[in-house]
Amino acid sequence: MNRWSYVLIRVLQVIPTFFVVMVLVFAAARLLPGDPLTAILGERATEEMVVKAKHELGLDQPLPVQFWIFLKDFFQGNLGDSINLKVPVTRLILERMPVTLFLTLYAAVLAAALAIPLAFVAALRKDTWADNLIRGVFQLGLSMPVFYIGLQLLTLLGARLRWFPVGGYGNTFGEHLYYLFLPALTLGFNLAAILMRNLRASILEVLQAEYVDFARAKGLRPSLILGKHVLRNALISTVTLFGLNIGGLIGGAVITETVFAIPGVGRLMVDSIFGRDYPVIQGLTLTFALLVSLVFILTDVIHAQLDPRVEAA
Amino acid sequence: MDKFIKLALVLATLALGFAAAAPKQGGKLVYGRYADSLFLDPVLNDANVDIWILLNIYDTLLAPTLDGKGIKPNLAARYSLSRDGKTMTLVLRQGVKFSDGTPLTPQDVKFSLDRARDPNNGAWNSLLASIDSVGISGNNIVLTLKYPDPSLPAALATFNSAIMPQKQFMAMPGATDADKAKAFAEKPIGTGPFMLKEWKKGSSMTLVRNPYYWAKDENGIQLPYLDELRFEIVPDDNTRILKLQSGELDGAEFIPLSRVAELKANPNLNMVLFPSTEVDSVIMNNRPKLKDGSNNPLADQKVRQALNYATDKDAIIKIVTFGLAKPSKSYMSSSTPLYAPQNGYPYSLEKARALLKQAGYDKGFELSTMIVAGNADQTAIASALQQMWAPLGIKLRIDQFDAATNRAKYRANDFQMRVSKWTDDIADPSEITSYFAIYKNVESLHTGFQNKELEDLFDQSQREISEVKRAVLYQKIQKIYWDQAPILFLYEAPYPVALQKYVKGFVQIPLGNNIFVNTYLDK
Repeated sequence: MNRWSYVLIRVLQVIPTFFVVMVLVFAAARLLPGDPLTAILGERATEEMVVKAKHELGLDQPLPVQFWIFLKDFFQGNLGDSINLKVPVTRLILERMPVTLFLTLYAAVLAAALAIPLAFVAALRKDTWADNLIRGVFQLGLSMPVFYIGLQLLTLLGARLRWFPVGGYGNTFGEHLYYLFLPALTLGFNLAAILMRNLRASILEVLQAEYVDFARAKGLRPSLILGKHVLRNALISTVTLFGLNIGGLIGGAVITETVFAIPGVGRLMVDSIFGRDYPVIQGLTLTFALLVSLVFILTDVIHAQLDPRVEAA
Repeated sequence: MDKFIKLALVLATLALGFAAAAPKQGGKLVYGRYADSLFLDPVLNDANVDIWILLNIYDTLLAPTLDGKGIKPNLAARYSLSRDGKTMTLVLRQGVKFSDGTPLTPQDVKFSLDRARDPNNGAWNSLLASIDSVGISGNNIVLTLKYPDPSLPAALATFNSAIMPQKQFMAMPGATDADKAKAFAEKPIGTGPFMLKEWKKGSSMTLVRNPYYWAKDENGIQLPYLDELRFEIVPDDNTRILKLQSGELDGAEFIPLSRVAELKANPNLNMVLFPSTEVDSVIMNNRPKLKDGSNNPLADQKVRQALNYATDKDAIIKIVTFGLAKPSKSYMSSSTPLYAPQNGYPYSLEKARALLKQAGYDKGFELSTMIVAGNADQTAIASALQQMWAPLGIKLRIDQFDAATNRAKYRANDFQMRVSKWTDDIADPSEITSYFAIYKNVESLHTGFQNKELEDLFDQSQREISEVKRAVLYQKIQKIYWDQAPILFLYEAPYPVALQKYVKGFVQIPLGNNIFVNTYLDK
């Protein structure tokens, strides 16, 4: 099987997953107690007003009918209008998704940039003070909740030292990099800790491997051994781990975006669940599902690139 | 002594002089809000996040005074009422323009009021239910009423009767009023001091000075003073305060009461507690049976009174609001017009015990209250009640639900008690009374409470044009409600806003509206 048909099969496998997600999210949103109208009309609405508004929004239709409308609209590229914000869901997602993607990608890059070199240092200086320090700091990071790290960074580097702005997103690419540095670091720190530990262990394992001994015996330069033989092989499991945890990053973005006042989809998701804004909940969950699926596909492809045995399997 | 008084007077005059130093025009103000607005349509909105800022963009014919107790002219320069109270004539201010430069016409006023009172439109049309027709006579607006309505001036000062430009609204795409409103609210046009320049939903909203705004200050300086007003949405309380402390915000709303003392001590900040109409209480289900069929001791007035006696309000105020609230003396706040404070329910376990004994509940019983999951204030209130009532043998169970579930159960009358917060939307006591005490709207806040005498008095008060007579009726209404105690009265809390020291002239009125027209930067 060649590489492209492998990719194609992985893409096709996403379609049934996606349909299941659609059914689940449609049902889950409506299984929540309460409905958008009691959430938005508030305490003062009379029963009449609720009935009228439900009718206007089509929420008095039987569920299968509502689901059919949802499906039909979906295939016409229409995710409906937000009940609370009164604008098309697709517009909301297009406005806000880039912010969250920027943040998660930035966090992933920072996590990798922290984890890979430090894992090497820790592995090559195993059981020295450097190894212990690196592992200790990351252990501490893993055991602290995201919002706590975020608030501490904000207080110290934002409000006190004023090196960074306290929250916000900025307007230009450069500003995004600057404004989102602390949130990305906050978000990426847990991931960096997980990656570092895994990569360190893999490097130690690979260093024991016979092919590394062989490379050394051939008299290859140590940098070449590390780069070509050790890193490539040690990365295989780390890449999978990385891919699996990107989904977690998107989840973590919900908290990070709230603490740092970043207008991404994470916050939109929380608001829409509390407001029972069905179209937004559906649209966002589907988008998340699509993104996570894409990341998984990408992970598999990179994995296959690193380890040619995968495609054959 | 004389000298001392003179000196004090001189100092006071000086202080006033400094305080009244001429406001400066220009500048940008960045204000941190806890949540963004949803929908900037005066008639079809539902939420405080809209209501509280709408009147920076739109104007109403009349406006509430800054203390929330009176009504003053606005787009209408003056108004008068016929002797029988059934015709109101409003004289429209001359030369007013919308923010796009088109002149305000009586036709726009008629259009806006007709839209606002249409029973098919939104949640607020009942405020204008007394209007039979809106007529135009030259530059006057003539309201013909079905019956005399003492709350009409207040209703004409409420956001939903804000004036919109008819042509521009009708030119919007869409077949229905709701569709047009959606389009119009994206780029609203009003006669208010500011106009919307940019809105990044969920992130920031930028308003700029309306170049055509009609009002000048007492020195003849064109209002508003600010060139630009930007709302930044910062939902996390800690982050909002950090942004204020780092100087990225000029002001921030909803400071948690736990942080007020700390910000008061900050020399760069002005921590303000604006009087509000917020009342916090515990709603009780007054029905003999609960939704699950079990007996409900709260159906007995004596039990409800006993709980009011058994609640140490001062302690709750200390625990929950850090001493910044005042104990409630009526179901309405002291900022609501015609408020009549009541005596009674001082903390007394003996009285509570005696009342429970009379009611046959001296052996103790179980109660439950709903709170919104994760809400720190409600958790603190419920836990305090749990401990305060334990000596009476009352076991209070606390049920936590997320806000929408909590509300759904409440609306279905499926609750025994519920911690609750209210603010008025209109500078008149009729709104809060019709929700708290009158059965037909929402079953008296879903308590099921119904009192014939009170409802008769309320009906009279709704037709009583004489302010004095109406005040007497409201004294009686508040007395009955207080004695019947359908709810557990707790406290009224202020609006906590922190501003940089150089921000002057900002007011959040008791209704919650943020008034930026007189705000300026003194730096």
